[in-house]
Amino acid sequence: MIAETKKTPAARYGMSIDVDRCNGCGSCMVACAVENNVPPAASGATDRTGLTWIRVFRIDNGAEGSGRRSAFVPVLCQHCGKDAPCVSVCPQQAVDVDPATGIVGQMPERCLGCRYCMAACPYHARYFNWWDPTWPAGMEKTLNPDVAPRMRGVVEKCNFCHGRWHAAKAKAVANGKNEIDPADYIPACVEACPSGAIHFGKLNDPATETAQGARHPDSFRMLESLGTDPKIYYHSKKNWVREISSAPRPGLAKENARG
Amino acid sequence: MTNSRRDIFKFAGGAVAGALFTPAPWRLITDTALWSENWPGIPRPARGEIRAKFTNCALCPAGCAVRARCVGEQPVSLAGVHGGLCPFGLTGHHLPYHPARLKQGPIEEAKAAVRKRAPDGIAILDLNPGRTVSWTYRRAMASLQGLYLAPESQPVAYDLSAAKTVLSIGAPLLDGWGTPANVNAARQNFRLIQAEAVESRTAVLADEWIPLAPGTERAFAQEILGALQGERTSVVARELTADGSSFVLGDAPEIPEINRLLGAYGKIIVAPSEAPVPEPWKKSAAAITRLADVPDHSIGVLLIDESNAASYIPWHFIEPKLTGDNPLVVTFAATRGGYARHAQYALPIAVYPELTDDIAPAVDSIHPTFRISVPLVAPVVTPPAGLANPADFVGALAGVPASNALRERADAIHQSAEGAIVTYADGKETPVKDLTADAFWKSLNQGARWDRPPGLSSLVPAASRSTLRPAEPIESSADLPLIAIREPHNPALVSPLMTKLYQESGLRLAPNRVALNPDDARAAHVPNGARAVLQTRIGRCSVEVTVDPAVPPGAVQVGGSPGIQDVCGPAARVKVVPA
Repeated sequence: MIAETKKTPAARYGMSIDVDRCNGCGSCMVACAVENNVPPAASGATDRTGLTWIRVFRIDNGAEGSGRRSAFVPVLCQHCGKDAPCVSVCPQQAVDVDPATGIVGQMPERCLGCRYCMAACPYHARYFNWWDPTWPAGMEKTLNPDVAPRMRGVVEKCNFCHGRWHAAKAKAVANGKNEIDPADYIPACVEACPSGAIHFGKLNDPATETAQGARHPDSFRMLESLGTDPKIYYHSKKNWVREISSAPRPGLAKENARG
Repeated sequence: MTNSRRDIFKFAGGAVAGALFTPAPWRLITDTALWSENWPGIPRPARGEIRAKFTNCALCPAGCAVRARCVGEQPVSLAGVHGGLCPFGLTGHHLPYHPARLKQGPIEEAKAAVRKRAPDGIAILDLNPGRTVSWTYRRAMASLQGLYLAPESQPVAYDLSAAKTVLSIGAPLLDGWGTPANVNAARQNFRLIQAEAVESRTAVLADEWIPLAPGTERAFAQEILGALQGERTSVVARELTADGSSFVLGDAPEIPEINRLLGAYGKIIVAPSEAPVPEPWKKSAAAITRLADVPDHSIGVLLIDESNAASYIPWHFIEPKLTGDNPLVVTFAATRGGYARHAQYALPIAVYPELTDDIAPAVDSIHPTFRISVPLVAPVVTPPAGLANPADFVGALAGVPASNALRERADAIHQSAEGAIVTYADGKETPVKDLTADAFWKSLNQGARWDRPPGLSSLVPAASRSTLRPAEPIESSADLPLIAIREPHNPALVSPLMTKLYQESGLRLAPNRVALNPDDARAAHVPNGARAVLQTRIGRCSVEVTVDPAVPPGAVQVGGSPGIQDVCGPAARVKVVPA
């Protein structure tokens, strides 16, 4: 079995997100929370202390009045392919990159809650559990059995719905296959998107829609200049969207756009 | 050798210091984390056999097909069968457990009170018309010589696939207006021009956004109408007439006439086709009446069905219609937030996905369809508190049997032997004529959908579209300096997980919030996140403030909570003051 597994070439899972199709409905955000047992906001939670593994940001071109134009950009863990900053700073080895999938994983059982990884992540895609996870009475019956709720004091983030990957892998093995059927492994946000703006698949398989999206002339990656090789590709026909997303700091980007 | 006390302390100290250099304490930390994961406060997800159930979402008339992933009988996640769902639909399985849910009410007492007063000017306001239960209401009102009230007397359906240009004046076309899958499928084929004061989610994806000055939507519609009548010129009007297949969406009273001049009636805008209805029902049903057409002070007993309401009518439109002498208002509601604030009796009802109900035709569906929202969970609120069944309640008042109405309707559809039924589990389409009545009923109860291609007779255009709420004149006012722009209508009860969008990200404006331009916020002395009071000519309402540079100066974007809508009609003049 081990020998068989070794023969399988490593996958490089990633996403391709069409910013020009996203209307900011937020379906991806709530689908992610449902799938990964992320609790509703505590009463004191804010946009800085909340838990949103995928978060849709509204950005604008910085113009005033009628010239102002906006776009919605879903931001999740970018699953850095090279030198992921969160991996190297974790004192507990609670963050790792799965060589078989390229997914940057987070193990809350190991996490000490030091939040170095949050400080290191240039995408602000990691979230700290400031409160015990609580659901209204009865709602705990609706929790996904494939994902354990995390305790207070640990960091969590997108893992490309790893529970679904395990289920797909188990199904493939049960059917005597090494490879996962792509239809069996689709993250919740991709499945939920009503406008079909998000595609998920293997970036190292040129036939996938994701790989084709990544090669699109209008595609870009967040903060590409940092050299972290993110596996989330965005594309937009709007120049200002591409420019803002590749700027080293969001604040700086706005100033630049306005200037 | 003797060991002194000092030696024992030295040994103990050395042991503690040495232990720090072993893996033991670090292992202990990890284990502590593992223990904490199993603290009693952290719920453990239930385990069991995973299965799929199918239903149709009842939260709005779009009625999206839903696949529920269940552990045993309990749904743990919902997904769309044909494309994705909106965030409200995705979290529908949380609604039965919502802490703000109305759980008990004096059902028998309310029944006795209505019996005592009926039929003294009785009326029922159906906020989700077009369902089988709506026919029960109409039959009951005909029997009681009462009124059946609905937001629109002549609803229309839009065939987006036939449109080449769409001008939307503030309508949320890409944000919950129609069935997401249909709208997204048709989107590539038409040019969308969005005219409104704020850059809404629809405006962001529109081909062209025309930023209007707040409160000038009606003037813009008048300009288009004038251009179409040849009185003036307009680039947008020229664009609309250029391809011969355009229509305009919005609330302005001029829009039906614009659409008539554009030739949209009968081509894009059609009379919605209804699934067959038993003939005896049609003969004994009250007419559909608009609330605006009801004389003032004429309703003595008002019943309101709020279940999955597709719209909310502000209370200041309803109140004048009630008799001045102690009117009786009974509402069937899922929360206390809506008309329950004004009613003598607020009776709790089943919520999606624990209710059995059919779904009214979608605004973007020209095909007659019939879909049942099949319960995914048993009612969470059980006797002795109990839930009211509005159909049984109203039917019993008039002696109209209501408990079997869905089956009777399904039998009428089956007898027509037209159309086909689509089962979601296998995607199969089976002609109705190949099924027995029982098999047809069974399929519907497994979350299938009946469809019939539109016949020519169903495409008769509606005479015109009339809005329930007359457009309010914008009075100039120095004491109320801002103009309200309302967010699209949302379901009354939403999952607690919607806090991801309302609170933890600010992606959507929460129902109880208002958004102000930074300059206006500064002038009103209300900082971001502060509590404030929204004041209009009609009344006051407590709100929370979001400061957002995307809101144009002179406007305030208001959430869709019933409390805000009650004091704030469309384009109302408002003032925001610190609480």
